[in-house]
Amino acid sequence: MAHQVHAYHMVDPSPWPLTGAVGALLLTSGLAIWMHFHNMTLLALGLILLLLTMYQWWRDIVREGTFQGHHTPPVQKGLRYGMILFITSEVFFFLGFFWAFYHSSLAPTPELGGCWPPTGITPLDPFEVPLLNTAVLLASGVTVTWAHHSIMEGHRKEAIQSLTLTILLGFYFTFLQAMEYYEAPFTIADGVYGSTFFVATGFHGLHVIIGSTFLAICLLRQVLYHFTSEHHFGFEAAAWYWHFVDVVWLFLYISIYWWGS
Amino acid sequence: MCTNLFRSIRQPERKMAAFGRFSQVLLRSSLTQTRRQLSAAAGHGEQSGKTWKILTFVVALPGVGVCMLNTFLKEQHHSHEQPEFVPYTHLRIRSKRFPWGDGNKSLFHNPHVNPLPDGYEGHE
Repeated sequence: MAHQVHAYHMVDPSPWPLTGAVGALLLTSGLAIWMHFHNMTLLALGLILLLLTMYQWWRDIVREGTFQGHHTPPVQKGLRYGMILFITSEVFFFLGFFWAFYHSSLAPTPELGGCWPPTGITPLDPFEVPLLNTAVLLASGVTVTWAHHSIMEGHRKEAIQSLTLTILLGFYFTFLQAMEYYEAPFTIADGVYGSTFFVATGFHGLHVIIGSTFLAICLLRQVLYHFTSEHHFGFEAAAWYWHFVDVVWLFLYISIYWWGS
Repeated sequence: MCTNLFRSIRQPERKMAAFGRFSQVLLRSSLTQTRRQLSAAAGHGEQSGKTWKILTFVVALPGVGVCMLNTFLKEQHHSHEQPEFVPYTHLRIRSKRFPWGDGNKSLFHNPHVNPLPDGYEGHE
């Protein structure tokens, strides 16, 4: 058995970074080909490759951390930094779309009627489904915190219950938002109002789906006894991501749904 | 004159020193938080889990229930008439066709509330 005189993790060679990069290339070029030449082959290939990469890469990380003991405290600290930096980059991603929204809405052009919302746009009532969505996400923030404390205190059954509740709330949000998208009297093609609304809320919705998936993986791992009361960073990372998703929604709600209506 | 020169050099240095101290405090507080987070299991005992469980069933979920009721009631009050169609040029933009179907309908197209550029479908 090999020994190392340090606490760090020298990762074994892996093909997943390469397959991930190729997948990302196929996805992006595939998207362009689909938009211009109406052919979905490259896009589908890229999507499959990316999904396979994600599954196998993260499966390997779980094996390295949970079963092979490579995630010592210094390694965990590095993973924490990594997750924090990633979420920070996502904050900047959304900042761009908020910039676009405020740029267009603070000084509406004459073509829009010189007002915001533009002439002819009936905005959604912020105190109907959007308010419900806010309550749903805030509640899920409470339930995910309950889940965290349950894990830390070794309450297995409660951890499973609270985590399941969190995921159900996430699904409910996605369902409500999909309904809103269908019932909205305006579309993405309705000028800059439609563009800013659907791109900002659309990317947020995508992040809710990603976050729900992350939490679902954590639920599976909790059921399979992967987490201990002292060591459960995968769950913490998912919880941080979920809180980030919640905070982005609050900004969206206040800026676009409420102020922008 | 010597004193003036010395002062103008010191100012940026003092700012740099202050920044260094500030970033140290920032790193220390995040490290403390991490330590506190990692030792949370040892410190808290049975309390916190119970608190959040209570918050879930007394505040969070009833809050969702209230908002559900509010939405349901407001929805009933709505008129379900089709909004009037005015062929504004700044709306229903079609500079490029959508990559699906006939290229004229958005992804979540709803014929009842989403008119096409020349009006609602089924209208002559």
